[in-house]
Amino acid sequence: MASPVKSSPRDAQVMGAILKEMGVTEYEPRVVNVMLEFVYRYVTDVLEDAKVYCNHANKKSLDAEDIKLAVQCRMDHSFTSPPPRDLLMEISKHKNSQVMPLIKPYTGLRLPPDRYCLSAPNYRMSSHKAVKKHQARIQIGLPQFQQRINLSQMSMTPGFLAGKLGAGGPHLTVVSKPGMGVPAVTIVTKPSGQQTMTAKPAIRISTGTSLNSLNQNRTFHQVVSTSSSHAGPQHTIQFQPLQSTTTSLITNQSMNPLKRKMEDDYDNPS
Amino acid sequence: MAGNEVPFSDSLKTQANMQQSLPFQNVPKADVSDKQTLLAVLQFLKKNNLKGTEELLKREASIKDDDVRPQTSSQSETDVSHALAAYKSADDPSLFTDYYTDLKTFIESCLDAHKVELSVILYPVFIHMYLEMVYNEHESYAILFFRRFSKEQEDFYQEDLQKLATVTKKEHMKGNELMESFKASKFVIKMSRDSYNHLKRYLQENKMKPLLNIIQEHLFIDVFDGVPRTKQQIDATSGALLGESERDANKVKVFYGLLKEPDINMPLEEEDEPPEGEDKPKKKKPKKDPLMMKKSKNDPHAPAFNRIPLPEMKDQDKMEKITAYREALKRVKVGRDNPPTICFYTVLNSYQGVTSIDMSEDSSLLCAGFADSTIRVFTTSSHKLRSMKTAAELDNIDRDADDVLERMMDDRSATDSKLLTGHSGPVYAARFSRDRKYLVSCSEDGTVRLWSLLTWTNLVCYKGHNHPVWDVEFSPYGHYFVSVGHDRTARLWATDHHVPIRIFSGHLSDMDCVKFHPNSNYIATGSNDRFIRLWDILNGNCVRLFSGHKGSVQALCFSPDGRFLASSGVDSVVLLWDIATGGLMAQMKGHTDTVYSLCFSRDGGVLASGGLDNSVKLWDVIKVLQEVDTDADTSIPSSVHVNDSTGLLIGSWATKATPVLCIHFTRKNLMIASGPAALTEEKSPHKT
Repeated sequence: MASPVKSSPRDAQVMGAILKEMGVTEYEPRVVNVMLEFVYRYVTDVLEDAKVYCNHANKKSLDAEDIKLAVQCRMDHSFTSPPPRDLLMEISKHKNSQVMPLIKPYTGLRLPPDRYCLSAPNYRMSSHKAVKKHQARIQIGLPQFQQRINLSQMSMTPGFLAGKLGAGGPHLTVVSKPGMGVPAVTIVTKPSGQQTMTAKPAIRISTGTSLNSLNQNRTFHQVVSTSSSHAGPQHTIQFQPLQSTTTSLITNQSMNPLKRKMEDDYDNPS
Repeated sequence: MAGNEVPFSDSLKTQANMQQSLPFQNVPKADVSDKQTLLAVLQFLKKNNLKGTEELLKREASIKDDDVRPQTSSQSETDVSHALAAYKSADDPSLFTDYYTDLKTFIESCLDAHKVELSVILYPVFIHMYLEMVYNEHESYAILFFRRFSKEQEDFYQEDLQKLATVTKKEHMKGNELMESFKASKFVIKMSRDSYNHLKRYLQENKMKPLLNIIQEHLFIDVFDGVPRTKQQIDATSGALLGESERDANKVKVFYGLLKEPDINMPLEEEDEPPEGEDKPKKKKPKKDPLMMKKSKNDPHAPAFNRIPLPEMKDQDKMEKITAYREALKRVKVGRDNPPTICFYTVLNSYQGVTSIDMSEDSSLLCAGFADSTIRVFTTSSHKLRSMKTAAELDNIDRDADDVLERMMDDRSATDSKLLTGHSGPVYAARFSRDRKYLVSCSEDGTVRLWSLLTWTNLVCYKGHNHPVWDVEFSPYGHYFVSVGHDRTARLWATDHHVPIRIFSGHLSDMDCVKFHPNSNYIATGSNDRFIRLWDILNGNCVRLFSGHKGSVQALCFSPDGRFLASSGVDSVVLLWDIATGGLMAQMKGHTDTVYSLCFSRDGGVLASGGLDNSVKLWDVIKVLQEVDTDADTSIPSSVHVNDSTGLLIGSWATKATPVLCIHFTRKNLMIASGPAALTEEKSPHKT
C-alpha cells in the first residue's frame, strides 16, 4: 500500500519512512496507526520510568543515562529474546548426553504422570452441600422440605456402621417427615443377623440449643428388628440430626460410596 | 622479505591435507584482562610488521593457533565483546574504501576461472569492514561505504544487508542478533587451491593489514584441490547466512536406510476380492513382491532396529500394516507419462484464518489449525467421527468381543468434524500420529499439546519452548514427536515425559520446519538462516549441513526410501539433496512465490510442491536419478553437477485463489492437496 499521504501528520510520515527503510513495502494503511500507538505507549512508559530513576538519583533533570537504564529495564521485562546460542549449546550438550529413556512395554496410553496431564476432573459434585445448606436453614425455621436421596444397590464402604453388613447393601434415604420440621435420615439396612445396632453408628444427637432457636423435639427412633430371616424387615435408624457435621458425615460416606477415598471432601471436617 | 611470509608459513608447513585454514588465534579462557593486553600487544606487533617478535610472543605466551570450525566455536557474552575489541584499530576509515576497491580491481584482473571464486570473498569482507568502521565510531564513513558498495553484492544477500544497515552506531551492535552471528561464527567459503594461492600472493604483496586481519579472523576458507568452480556451481550452494557448509560438516556416516520391517504373517486367505479368486492358493506362499523383498534383506545403510528405543508393535498396528500393504498392492504407478490424479480440498469461508493443514497417513482424516487457536478435524471418508463412550458405559461392554474397538465408540456422538480448543494463540501446526489415535499441535503460545482422537480432549500440554513454536511432527513409529520454534532449538519429546529428551541447537535463527526421517533415527530442520541440518536423535549431533537456499526454508520432505531430502521455502526453488554425501542433486525452479508444502509420491518417483503462488507443480525425480553421475568424486565441490534442467517439471496446475498448504499422496498414489480459499471482496464484480 502507498506510503502515508502528504497531508498526514509528521509522525505518521516518519513512521512511513521507518517502514520503508526496514524494507516493508506493502502494508495496510492501518499499520501506521497501530505502530504509532505502540510508539507513543512505549516512549511514555520509558520516559516515566526514567523520571523515577532520575528522582531516585536526586538529579535535577533527566539525562541520557536515565533513559538508557529505563530502556534496558523495559527490554529485560517485556521483550524477552531467546537465550544466546552458547547457552543453548551448553544445555543441549547436557541434555543429549543422557541415554534415551526406554519405553515401557505393554502399556496402553503412554502419558506423563497425572500431575502433568490435563485428564484430572476439574469439577466437583456438590449436591450434598445443598442438603447441608437446607438443613442449616431449617434450623432457623425455614419451611420444611422434602428431600429423598435414594441410593439403591450400592455397596457401602466397609467402615460404615461398624462394618459387618451383609450382601445387598443398605439403603440410605433422607426423608423429611411432614410435621416434624426437620429432615430425618433413614438408614435402611438389610438384615445381617447381627446386632449391629448395639454399637450405634457414630451419630450423636444432642440438643444443642445454641444452634437452634426453635428447639424442636428431636426424636431418635431406632427400630431394631432382630428377626433372623433373610427376607426380614429392615433395620431402620431414624434420627434428626441437628449438627451439620453429622449429616454430612452420613451423607458423605453414603452418598458416594464409590468415590475414591483419597479424594478428600474438604467440607467434611472429620 | 621473509618476515611477510610468516603468517602464512604455518599453513605452508602443515602436511598436505585437503583442508587448510588461515591461522586463527584461539585464546584460552584464562585471564580476560591479561589475554586482552596480550592480544593488544600482538595487534601492535602485527601492525608494525614485527612478525618475528609476534611469533615468539605467541609461542611464549602459549597462545595456540587452533583450527576452529565455525559451527562449534561458542563464545559467551564476554567473548563477543572481546571479539569486538579485536576490531579496535586506529586505522583510518577512509583507507577501507581504498582497500575494498583495490581488492575488487585485483579480482577483476584475475583469470576468469578464478574471478568467480574470488568474488565470493567480497561479501564477507564488505560486511566486516563495515562493522569495523561502526565499532570504531566512524559513522559517516561507514554509511558512505555501505551505500556505495551494498548494491553490488549478490541479490540473495540484500535482505541481510538491509538488516545490517540499521546498525550504524556502536551501541546498536550489541543487541543485533544478525551481527552477533557474524561476530561469533566464521563465514565459510570453499575455494580451489589455485585461487587461494592467487589471493595469498596478492595480499602478501600489498601489505593490506586490516584486510589481512579480517580475512584471518572472520573467514574460514575451505581449500580443495581441483578445478575452480563455475558461477553456477557456486551460486547453487551459497546464500546461507554464513556462507556455505564446509566439507567436514558432512563427513559423518548417516544411516539413511529404512528399518527392517518385522515379518508379519499376512493372513491373505481372508482376502475378499472375487476377481483375484484364482490367485488365492498362490497367496499362501510369501509373495515375491518388490515391496517386501527390499525390506527383508539387510540394508547396510539402515540403522539397527534398536538403535533408538521404539514402541513395540501391537496387534492393532499389525492389522494396520496389513491393510496398508493390501492397499499398496493396488498402487498406481505415477510418473511423467502417467501424472497422478489430484483431488483438492478447499477450506472455504474460514474467517479465522487457516494456518496449517495436515492429512493422516491413510488419508481418512484432515485437520486444520486456525489463527483463532482452534483445531478442527474433518473426516474425508464416509465414516463419521465418533468419540469414546463414557467410563460408566465402557464397563458394560464385552471386552473380549472381536469388534470391541467399534463397540467402545459412542454412535450418538458421530459428526463430520470435531473442534479442539485449548491453545491460547494461533495454531501453527497440527499433525496426526500414524495410528490416528493422537494429534499433536503447536502454537504461538509456546506450548505443544497432545490430543486424543478417541475422546477428542486435550491430554497433555508440553511446556518447554518459551517462544512461539513453528512446527511439530510425530515420529513414523509413534511415541516421539519433535517441535521447533523461535528459540532456535528443536526439542524431541516422548509422549510419556513432560520434559524434552533431546535438545538440538545450532541454528543461527529460528527454525521453521521439521521432519522425521522414515527410519525415525534422524530429523531434518529448516531454518530462517537458510541452512538445513540433519540431526541424529541418538546423540543430538548435527550430521549434515545443507546450504544453498537463498531464503528461509519453509518445507521439507524425505523420500520414502530415505535417501533424499527435498526442501523449499521463501526463495521458491525446490532443492533435492543426497543425504549420503550431503550434496545438492537438483534445483527445480518454477514457482514464483513461497513454497509451503512438499510431498513425494509413495514410490518416490514424483515430487509435488505447492505454495503461495496458488499452484501445484510436479517434478520428475526419476529423471534426476537417471542423470546423476555416480562416478563423480563428491569431495571435490567442482566436480559435482547440479541438475538444473527445465525438463524436470512434469506439469503445473493452478487453483483459482487458494494457496496450497498441504500435499499428500494416498497409499494408492492419488494426490490430495489442500488449502484455504483466499477469496477477497475486491474480486467481487458488484463492487462499484
